[in-house]
Amino acid sequence: MKRNIQFREALSSALADEMTADPSVFVFGLDVPDHKRIFGSTAGLLEKFGPERVFDTPLSEDAMTGAALGAALAGLRPVHVHIRVDFALLGMNQIINMISNLRYMTGGQIGKLPIVIRAVIGRGWGQSAQHSKSLQGMFAHFPGLKVVMPSSPQDAYSLLRASIRDDNPVIFLEHRWLYDVVGEVDDAHAVPLGLANVRRHGKDITLVCTSWMNVEAHKAADLLARRGVEAEIVDVRSIAPLDAATILKSVRRTGRCIVADYDWSFCGFAAELAAQIHHGCFKELKAPVERVGFAHTPCPTTRPLENLFYPSAKTLVRAAERLLGLDEMDLSQEKFYTYEVNFKGPF
Amino acid sequence: MAEVETLNMIQALNSALDLFMEREERAYVLGEDVGFFGGVFRVTEGLQKKYGARRVFDTPLAEAGIVGMALGMGLAGLVPVAEIQFADFVYPAFDQIVSELAKYRYRSGAQYTPRVVLRMPCGGGIRGGHYHSQSPEALFIHTPGLRVLMPSGPFEAKGLLLGALAGPDPVIFLEPKKLYRAIKAEVPKGWYTLPLDKAAVLRHGQDATLVAYGAMAPAALEAARLAEEEGYDIEVIDLLCLMPFDLKTLVHSVEKTGRLVVVHEAPRTCGFGAELVAAVQEKAFARLEAPPRRVTGFDTPFPYTLEDHYLPGPERILHALIETLEY
Repeated sequence: MKRNIQFREALSSALADEMTADPSVFVFGLDVPDHKRIFGSTAGLLEKFGPERVFDTPLSEDAMTGAALGAALAGLRPVHVHIRVDFALLGMNQIINMISNLRYMTGGQIGKLPIVIRAVIGRGWGQSAQHSKSLQGMFAHFPGLKVVMPSSPQDAYSLLRASIRDDNPVIFLEHRWLYDVVGEVDDAHAVPLGLANVRRHGKDITLVCTSWMNVEAHKAADLLARRGVEAEIVDVRSIAPLDAATILKSVRRTGRCIVADYDWSFCGFAAELAAQIHHGCFKELKAPVERVGFAHTPCPTTRPLENLFYPSAKTLVRAAERLLGLDEMDLSQEKFYTYEVNFKGPF
Repeated sequence: MAEVETLNMIQALNSALDLFMEREERAYVLGEDVGFFGGVFRVTEGLQKKYGARRVFDTPLAEAGIVGMALGMGLAGLVPVAEIQFADFVYPAFDQIVSELAKYRYRSGAQYTPRVVLRMPCGGGIRGGHYHSQSPEALFIHTPGLRVLMPSGPFEAKGLLLGALAGPDPVIFLEPKKLYRAIKAEVPKGWYTLPLDKAAVLRHGQDATLVAYGAMAPAALEAARLAEEEGYDIEVIDLLCLMPFDLKTLVHSVEKTGRLVVVHEAPRTCGFGAELVAAVQEKAFARLEAPPRRVTGFDTPFPYTLEDHYLPGPERILHALIETLEY
């Protein structure tokens, strides 16, 4: 069935469909059944599946991550939700030292460890330093974890279903501004983990994007198109495992590349992408791989500073112009950050 | 000429802590087994006896508590030096480090500037298995607000630790435990500091730049020696300071050699090597004659039996050097 729905509904549909298909799937985490339902992404689940399979937790991420691990070891398929990825840092020991390597440490005696950790990332309203992280680079540094970042309703739906069905632990990161994005979702369309997606074709420059940066990249590509520059957008989608082949194929053709990762660029996933792209496209690259991401500071609170901290379509246009040797186009009449107006909170 | 003594890295670190405790009455040492026992690796040996159990004290096995307490002490104007017994155990304290310690100065508009040094033995090479061998430096380098240091010998260890202790910033001080007793060197007896943003060029060369840090620095030097036997002249850079790191020295070297190999123990994906490569290609794009190569741990948990294969050694580094040189 095809429907035009919001990203948040795509997530709740994926959860409902998997919970219907498999009684061992359950969803838990702080605020999962409250009136806001994690930005609506767990809406309807409590009513349909009851409090045994959809429940709130104490404010104790370490213990609750341990509970997810225990449940998975006992044969269930837990989906643990963090309303901020920052709070997952409190469960880091469970995630890194227990979950990520248990299959390896037991020599495969523990044959599967199906845990999905959903976490909300990114910008809201003045979220400051402790409610705004992304952290995909940290998670991707640890062997044994899969890391997924959907950017469209279809991917949110299909990748969440694939993550729940995967027998490995999966970190599933959702930018909160994406919840409003509307798109067609075909529930028969499966998207396996581990594949990037060319979201827009172009011949002049490749924009390799994660999460919200795809939205900014589309805006940037529209602006660049006005001056005849055709930008190709590759949505990484699967941070780990990484589909390097699709990315390299694009850059080998365009010869220019901007890596737009929604995180601190420094020593993060953007660096990994830049290193791999430079290595894999050494002969084709006409300019260095440029990284666009967060400034290397804690996230500020005030809007003027946030606007400097977070990259936007404008940042991407300027970076593309530098790489292509073009003058700066006039963007004074352009509106940016439009999604901030759409964002209804709660936080 | 300052008076020198021949010390291993443990003794050099101990000397730094002793000098600092003596000079700074607000200095405290805390951690698991650091007091009565003198630390599992003996880095804090004798300090409790000399400075008392009030200033050098054992904590429960609770890393989040250790870092949280150190942060609180720092906010109250003390200068705590906390030990995480193995870097592998740091994850329970991750929220305290990433969301609190690293952010305090920024969040408070510099009204609060906690001086906290977290020491942690890291890396493989002692048959420690998965939970006593990890190298998590990339996570701290990625987190704005922290200095990250890793010495490669006794002289560097003492100078960097004293520099860290004297400075105003939160510091993650990573000690490559493989080198703790492996190298002895002449170390000044008194107080000296090394800059916290400078790399050391261990060997000058023309053909390729080899960058390493911690326990990989001696391995890189050995690889350079092997390459010399093959007729190649390799420049070896020991970073010492990982955040901020000395990009200038690195780029200067690559502009001369045109070739780069970076080495670290941690897994490759999203490791510090990615940043080094990404930064160098940004700054020296036109000068690179071959794609930089990374010689790293593999993207697996740290293996117990396969440790010698997992850790980059001179042979693997040499292989990457030759590949780069013959590109």
